[in-house]
Amino acid sequence: MLEVRNLWAGYNGITVLRDITLEVPGRSATAVLGPNGAGKTTLFRAIAGLVRPQRGRVVFEGSPIHGLPPHEIARRGLVYVPAERELFPQLTVLENLELGAYSSPGDLRSRLRRVFDLFPRLAERRGQRAGTLSGGEQQMLAIARALMGRPRLILLDEPSTGLAPRLVAELYRQLAALQEEGVTILLAEQQVRAALGLCERVYVLRDGRMVFQGSASELWGRPELRRAYLGELRRVEPVGEARDGR
Amino acid sequence: MSILLDGLVQGLQLALLSVGVVFVYGLGGVLNLAHGQVAVSGGLVAALLMQNRLPPVLACVAGILFAGLVALLLDQTLLRQAYARRGEERLLLGIILTLGLSFALDGFFTWRYPNVALTLQLGSPYVRMGGLTVRTGSLAVAALALTAFLLLLGFLKTTFLGKAVRCIIQNEVGAWLCGVNVHRARTLTVVLSGLLAGVAAVAQGFFSYLGPEMGTEFTILALIVAVVGGVRSLTGTFLASLMLGLVNAALSYTVGTYITWIVLLAVAASTLLIRPEGLLAYWP
Repeated sequence: MLEVRNLWAGYNGITVLRDITLEVPGRSATAVLGPNGAGKTTLFRAIAGLVRPQRGRVVFEGSPIHGLPPHEIARRGLVYVPAERELFPQLTVLENLELGAYSSPGDLRSRLRRVFDLFPRLAERRGQRAGTLSGGEQQMLAIARALMGRPRLILLDEPSTGLAPRLVAELYRQLAALQEEGVTILLAEQQVRAALGLCERVYVLRDGRMVFQGSASELWGRPELRRAYLGELRRVEPVGEARDGR
Repeated sequence: MSILLDGLVQGLQLALLSVGVVFVYGLGGVLNLAHGQVAVSGGLVAALLMQNRLPPVLACVAGILFAGLVALLLDQTLLRQAYARRGEERLLLGIILTLGLSFALDGFFTWRYPNVALTLQLGSPYVRMGGLTVRTGSLAVAALALTAFLLLLGFLKTTFLGKAVRCIIQNEVGAWLCGVNVHRARTLTVVLSGLLAGVAAVAQGFFSYLGPEMGTEFTILALIVAVVGGVRSLTGTFLASLMLGLVNAALSYTVGTYITWIVLLAVAASTLLIRPEGLLAYWP
């Protein structure tokens, strides 16, 4: 569904990503892991068109999208939810959701029903301004706004940032429900355990390069990777984990 | 009492002028210093067409449309250069380019059309309303300005494109991610601001006259309003316009225009000191 081939990207002439290749099959959930500053956000911004790639190709559903402006990419069904959420703080929850459907208007009502089913909290707060929501609610709104555009692929950058552990679990249950409905998911996470619970395919990024690709269980079998690049993993994942062998 | 009314109507005209500056700054991060000249270009076209015996209503509509066209050209040529840059660089380049254009247009207008002026007269200069004598010109301006504002608000509140314009002011990245073509929305805003400037020029014709040299004065008035009202607030712009219109009318009547200018600039400067984000930081 999404293919990134030998992608180089960065800002103001400084290269952040070097030679990234990645593949996201349709209806899958794929995780990009890696420490802070590894280039996960730059990768997502380059795919979404907010950063123009310096070299390489990005192909979505068979057609190249690198170099297209961000609104064109969103219209094709690839929607990016940045870690900063980028909501419209002075507009109500409902208005934010309506704008999410900007690129493909029509049957607003059924789409609203769908996102309200998924995030009942947003239905309660529909008349409230987005800027007054709690962090977790804002995250839900950001994802719901993206869903209003009927995406086939959704890019989630650190969806668990700022959420209490209970909310992280809830969020990932909802993401699993989304995947069930046929939405393909590519996400970047620091909450490695939560991400690995959802995603069967994993990439590990470090200093702008891809250092691992494979399945979640393969990653568990590479303790040197976990310790070096996912330092947080041991803390999040208690020692009792069966494959850990300790 | 009639001074009060005059002030309010002047405030409405000021609002027509300032909304454009506020809008273009809010959406594009560019301060358009040639905004007054855009208005004057529309007024002069209306005046020239009337000299050629076109009916005043048609001439004014043509003048307003011409101001929109000038704004479109400005967007596609000079502003586009500024939009290609970011942050401070964009703001500075925008200031230099539009300042240059304002000098060029001022020079052209006063050289080529020194004696052209737009004056619009209605059947009788005064009407009596409930014991008050009111200038018919003021009534015409009030009607014109309120219609323009209702159209603008209707566009912003009801159409999808209008919603897109509102959301870009709040969050440009968010707008891109929702599939809004920010570039196109910006062009549309510049054209809208040009049309409103044209309406303001026609309104000036109803008050007294609009001459080829008035562009800079218009720009400065619009900037003062933008500073006092808050450069990102439409409601603030509206309130500040009415307030400054009243101040302007009262002071011009009592102490003369020269001191009025000093007071207006002082109001803008003290707003920056006391409430730098303007009266209202955001608009609902």
